[in-house]
Amino acid sequence: MTAFLVSLDAVSAWIRHLACGQTLYFPQQSGQSGLRFLPVDNDSEIRFDGYQPSLAPPGKKLAPAEEPLFRYRVGTDGIPVIQPVLDASPRILAGVRPCDLRGIHLLDQVNQQGHPDPHYLTRRQQTVLIGCDCLTPCDEHCFCDAVGSLRWRENADLFLTRIDGQFLLEVQTEAGQRLVANQNFPACPDLAGLKAHIEAQRAKPFGRQWHADAGRIPGIVASQWSSPVWDKHVERCFSCGTCNLVCPTCYCFDVRDDFQIEDPSAGQRVRHWDGCMLPQFAQVAGGHDFRPAPAARQRHRVKRKFEYLNERCATTSFCTGCGRCGRQCTAGIDIFDIVNDLIDHAEVTP
Amino acid sequence: MKPKVAFFDFASCEGCQLAVLNCEDILLDLLALVDIVEFREAITGTAPYYDVAFIEGSINREQDAERLRDIRARSAVLVAMGACACIGNVQARSNFIAPAENFKRVYGSEERNQVQSDPEFWPLWAHTRVRAVREVVKVDYELRGCPLVPEEFVHLVKSLVAGTIPRFAAHAVCVECKMHENTCVFDRGDTCMGQITRGGCQAICITNGYRCDGCRGLVPNANMAAHLGLLQSKGLDNREIANRYRLFCSAEPLGRVGRSGHE
Repeated sequence: MTAFLVSLDAVSAWIRHLACGQTLYFPQQSGQSGLRFLPVDNDSEIRFDGYQPSLAPPGKKLAPAEEPLFRYRVGTDGIPVIQPVLDASPRILAGVRPCDLRGIHLLDQVNQQGHPDPHYLTRRQQTVLIGCDCLTPCDEHCFCDAVGSLRWRENADLFLTRIDGQFLLEVQTEAGQRLVANQNFPACPDLAGLKAHIEAQRAKPFGRQWHADAGRIPGIVASQWSSPVWDKHVERCFSCGTCNLVCPTCYCFDVRDDFQIEDPSAGQRVRHWDGCMLPQFAQVAGGHDFRPAPAARQRHRVKRKFEYLNERCATTSFCTGCGRCGRQCTAGIDIFDIVNDLIDHAEVTP
Repeated sequence: MKPKVAFFDFASCEGCQLAVLNCEDILLDLLALVDIVEFREAITGTAPYYDVAFIEGSINREQDAERLRDIRARSAVLVAMGACACIGNVQARSNFIAPAENFKRVYGSEERNQVQSDPEFWPLWAHTRVRAVREVVKVDYELRGCPLVPEEFVHLVKSLVAGTIPRFAAHAVCVECKMHENTCVFDRGDTCMGQITRGGCQAICITNGYRCDGCRGLVPNANMAAHLGLLQSKGLDNREIANRYRLFCSAEPLGRVGRSGHE
């Protein structure tokens, strides 16, 4: 596919131009501190420098906090008529970093497996991704390189890399090609040379690194069911669920039914985010809770990211290394520290 | 037949009843589902029996407890409505001070002594503890918050009418902050009770720029030791911490954390 070399001003103007035709989300400040993927309008500031991971990952635009799944109406014959609610409005997610691109890739996997999720997949099919490379770690919480996210760009339709005051703009799909048609961007003269230059500019080591080879981690996590590490890392835990809800690969939800007060024969089923760190997540009919202890819930969360789901999807890990969970935990609990402690503990008691 | 519903107020500002009356856009639809038989803020009249009794306010005097027991005996379902009824609210802070001391503070030494000596006054001594409704009678449902959340009130009424099980959040306020993509209060340089406070309020205070002061009470199994350590690490002294915990959560079992720091 093609590659262009474009100035910052031209990239900003192009993003604004794209936002005129459809909803385009880009990480922006909005009064409160922290970045959010918000729709770009005339007043939006298009900034690429000083990036910190957004509070919520951009993939949440494909599975919002709360959404109706279907509406129903019970007819006079007593049979309900069910109308699915699907959101097929086109959208662009721009400025998506490699960790979050990989997060969306992993969400695609779980939403396609088993019983495919039409609500997620309908939004996803209408979504164009414009990725953006990172040449330096965003902050001290980052460990994207350790989990194999840093060089992820496979599912980006277009991919931007800021280098020497300009942007390398790589077109990776036909959907991406359509967005740059008629832009008259100058072609990149020496793509291979520029990419080698980019790699040379990338920070090394990039972010935090594991205490062991990444390939060993699923086996180590599997072997540490009774480790004291689980208890150590929940002493300060509030079971508030923040780590789940800001995770780019958490997708658990609960549903509730809601009838209309003015016409009780009609209503809707709504789903909303849930999380395995929340106390009632594993409570079943009759009140039994099969993970009542915070340490058991923490172990389950770590195993989902480093053992269960990566085995199911044949990938290195289901953690993208974005660092959001550790960054936003008021108790300072970090999944990176938990896994490194498990590695250290496994060295002593394998 | 439509269920008979009644509202009663004890020690409270009646703000929760106003919050109910403020559900204006669906109030008429709600009234189509139920018969309101007692509601001091809205109608006059009484009834011998209630399908659902909504109790607003904390129970401060023994005569209030007697009235509450009578309502309970004549009600199929009893709902504690608002922070006063659920957790005692701000007035329960007086539980940490001896009654005689409270009387002196409010009325002066002379009246305090008169309460002790005057036969007309002595029942006031019975006001020794501000109680949540569940400390006096069995409570079927709790509508938490100061004031209650109208959406939760409507959800409860609809569930009771439909015969389904109402569901209320038992998770921390943090869940709803994440759903609203709020910047964490701790990242704004302030401190917050959100991690140990029951959600269901859509994190309304934080979403609007304030912090959580815990008006909905503690989550089950709240990690108080961790929260105390966190507030201390942010530079709050024990007296400030005790005041934060007691503002709304005085009647909660763990509201005594930091007791030594109280004046």
